Amino acid sequence: MEQVVLLLIGVLAVGSALGVVLMPNAVYSAMMLLLNLLSLATLFLLLHAQFMFAAQLIIYAGAILVLFLFVVTLLNPEGEYIFRDKRRMQRAATISFGLFLGAMLVGAFLAAFNKTQPVFVPTDGTNGSFGSVEAFGIDLFTRFLLPFELTSLVLLVALIGAVVLGKRK
Amino acid sequence: MSDVTFGLLISAVIFAVGAMGVLLRRNPLVQFMSIELMLNAVNLALISFSASLGTEEGHVFVLMVLTVAAAEAVIGLGIIVGLFRKRNRIDVDDVHSMDG
Repeated sequence: MEQVVLLLIGVLAVGSALGVVLMPNAVYSAMMLLLNLLSLATLFLLLHAQFMFAAQLIIYAGAILVLFLFVVTLLNPEGEYIFRDKRRMQRAATISFGLFLGAMLVGAFLAAFNKTQPVFVPTDGTNGSFGSVEAFGIDLFTRFLLPFELTSLVLLVALIGAVVLGKRK
Repeated sequence: MSDVTFGLLISAVIFAVGAMGVLLRRNPLVQFMSIELMLNAVNLALISFSASLGTEEGHVFVLMVLTVAAAEAVIGLGIIVGLFRKRNRIDVDDVHSMDG
């Protein structure tokens, strides 16, 4: 049963990723991105990352994607059909580069992870709290306190940058 | 095939698709969405590694990536809107110079 769900989510994730690239209209691309984010969030949940599942939904699907849709509808860019583009050489080079990169990554992951069976930690095993919000919070506020505090600085810089960029001259 | 291997394979494919999207499309908004795809693929790989090792470090890394992605979306979209105000159309090929 879990294998079926996993396969379905995988097909959905890869298909929607292709949709982002191939859809002529930017609004459709954004919708495909939403589908991709949701399927990846489900995969996070299947990999026992409960807090990351919620964070993915709230931050990516809730905040970043809405920002994208605002800008897409504000600028209203014209459609773009990449398969009618004149630059054939560039397109062929890009596609072969992408296939090469994908094959390399898939091959590397298969070589590294198929021989030794991964040590998978189930939620009902010895390390029972792995991935729970509690375990994540304890780690975040003890061992990783400094990086967590530094993220606030990153967000502050982004805030100031957005104000400076948005100011009319 | 275990969950971890499957997650890694999916992340590899999505990363390659995102890289192709950045190179194929001329609309900076869609290029930006492709960059988000790549960031998400890396998140999935980190969470898979974390599940494989049974430690929380990967999740903390993903939180950092989420923060950087949010900051990057704000700044990038601000730049694209600024570009549109200046030229009234958006195409990456129009951006020849870096004059402010």
